[in-house]
Amino acid sequence: HNHEVGPQSRKPVTELSLHSLVDMGFTDSQSEQIYEATSNLRGGSAARHALSTLTALFVLGLNPSTVLRLLEKCPELYTINESQLQQRIGNMRKLGLVEGSLQRVVSYYPQILTVPVKTVKSVVLFLREKCQFTVQQVTDILRDSPTVVLEKRGQLEYKFQYAYFRMGVKQAWMVKSRYFRFSLDEVRCRHCFLERRGLYQTPDKKGQTLIINPKLDDIFNVDEDGFLTHVANASAEEFEVFGKLLAREWQEEQHQHGSVEAD
Amino acid sequence: EKWAVTRTKHPPTSLALQHFDATHSVQLGPLWPSVRAALLSEKKYGALLNNFSYDVVLADLEAQGCRDFLRDADTEVSAAQPFLEQESEVVGDEESSGVSISKKSGIDGQQLSPLHLSPHIKCLVFPRGDITRFKPARPDMCGLLGYYLMDAASLLPCLALDVQEGHNVLDLCAAPGGKTLALLQTQSIGYLCVNDASVSRTLRLRKVLNSYVPKPLLADEKLRITSFDGTIWGDIERNTFDRVLIDVPCTTDRHSLMEDDNNIFSKSRTGERRKLPQLQLELLMAGIEATCPSGEILYSTCTLSQIQNQSVVEQAIVLARENHGIQLQVVDLRPLTHMFRKTFHFAPDLHLGEMVIPHLAANFGPIYMCKLRRLT
Ligand SMILES: C[S@@+](CC[C@H](N)C(=O)[O-])C[C@H]1O[C@@H](n2cnc3c(N)ncnc32)[C@H](O)[C@@H]1O
Repeated sequence: HNHEVGPQSRKPVTELSLHSLVDMGFTDSQSEQIYEATSNLRGGSAARHALSTLTALFVLGLNPSTVLRLLEKCPELYTINESQLQQRIGNMRKLGLVEGSLQRVVSYYPQILTVPVKTVKSVVLFLREKCQFTVQQVTDILRDSPTVVLEKRGQLEYKFQYAYFRMGVKQAWMVKSRYFRFSLDEVRCRHCFLERRGLYQTPDKKGQTLIINPKLDDIFNVDEDGFLTHVANASAEEFEVFGKLLAREWQEEQHQHGSVEAD
Repeated sequence: EKWAVTRTKHPPTSLALQHFDATHSVQLGPLWPSVRAALLSEKKYGALLNNFSYDVVLADLEAQGCRDFLRDADTEVSAAQPFLEQESEVVGDEESSGVSISKKSGIDGQQLSPLHLSPHIKCLVFPRGDITRFKPARPDMCGLLGYYLMDAASLLPCLALDVQEGHNVLDLCAAPGGKTLALLQTQSIGYLCVNDASVSRTLRLRKVLNSYVPKPLLADEKLRITSFDGTIWGDIERNTFDRVLIDVPCTTDRHSLMEDDNNIFSKSRTGERRKLPQLQLELLMAGIEATCPSGEILYSTCTLSQIQNQSVVEQAIVLARENHGIQLQVVDLRPLTHMFRKTFHFAPDLHLGEMVIPHLAANFGPIYMCKLRRLT
């Protein structure tokens, strides 16, 4: 068998068999793996959906081993029906994710294909209208931080407001630093740590601070070591204890908030 | 909306922070960011064990992971401090033995008497980096509580005071009574005078003592509680006490950064705050006068401010000599800080006294202390 055969040279396959998988370019053992995974799926349509999913992924230009990795990471992909899948891919293209970026997004975050078009549209609307990102910025966010589509709305809103109001960061910088990639916990922990050390200040109404704040990129786009040595100037021990203390502070804050709202 | 909450423009806590950013950063230099983060985060407590309680809580607390920091002391003499002469005498079991350190010759060739740590004082803390909280203490069958929760670092002034059998002791600014309670735990005080200018705070102190100390030990022949202005003490009882603790009112840095209520940085209290160093000096002077010759004085605060700490002591030493003819000697507390360096972070290179600085992994303090001995 020639496993290097590209999707273009494949004969149309109508049923999912070991043979057809090998024909698509999977190795024998890969084929067996996929075959087994699909036969474990319940419902008669499963095999048909699996087939269309595989085809769609190949059409995006992904190679067999990437496709296998994605399916392992996100087995739900096997069960999406073909027209929905096409709509979702089409919608993302419309949002500006053209070939290269779409391929990248899907291989980084295959779950995006399980998200209904409606959901994606409402996230986009939220980013455009509530957060005032431009069309291009929204495309960039979807490309760099596709997980936003599945984040809880409250959480996403809080994260935006945190950067905008609490850290005084404008939209362009959020996009540039791929801000939405980081979890709210990470964001708050690093920011509050700097703030309590006196190394970060919320700008006033005129956008002014008494000190020069470090760039968002330098705070978040570094590993913990880099963050501690170059930005916070602190020991790992301090940061570790701080993380524990802050987690407890939030927990208690939420608790208080909850009980106030319940009253 | 979440963020549009209108906050007071300048709450006292932010005024305090601005003030400390200006002063403490100069004083502590590169240490300030670390101290600042600790001050703005939850502090750690120590549980001062109550020897008078029937309940044995020690084992229970130890099972939760705490340890008595006094028994966990560093008895090794470090190479960096070769001038320290230490002798640990172990007599019988741990209960009956105190650890004593004597410093044979200090800097400037001063002769220093041994510092004796009472074996009765036990204070439990959770290990470094552990943020577990203590549960509130429960009353035993007599209604006495098993432990008192306090900043473990504020025990150090009590230890440094070095109360010995039968001593006549004055606690000049005592409320709410944490240090008084620690002093009473030594069970070696002959007579204790407890004072605080605030009547309401003195009431609180009474309540604390009643919740921890059996009635007979609070009897008139053992203890006196008053609410005088401490600055006049030199006129009331001169040359009287073997040991005097002067734990003065100060900017209480931690409280001022965390609580807007009752905050000394509120606009309406600016005058009071500005007058603190003067009040502190007057209280220290009164305490010095109340001490008998060869008696010892311990000055302490819970601020990092040099103006309220070292400067006050410096002025007092000069004033005592010039206005009252009293010669004072500064007692080196390095044996003590060396011993507890595993539990606390101490400010390096203070030219006068010692200071516990807060650190996230050991979030005690700030506590400043300076010990003086009356030579005349
Ligand atoms: C830092 S607190 C003492 C804490 C106490 N030593 C403890 O460990 O619980 C300072 C106390 O000084 C008292 N005070 C203020 N001015 C005073 C004065 N002129 N004379 C005596 N006490 C005074 C305050 O009421 C306050 O209770």
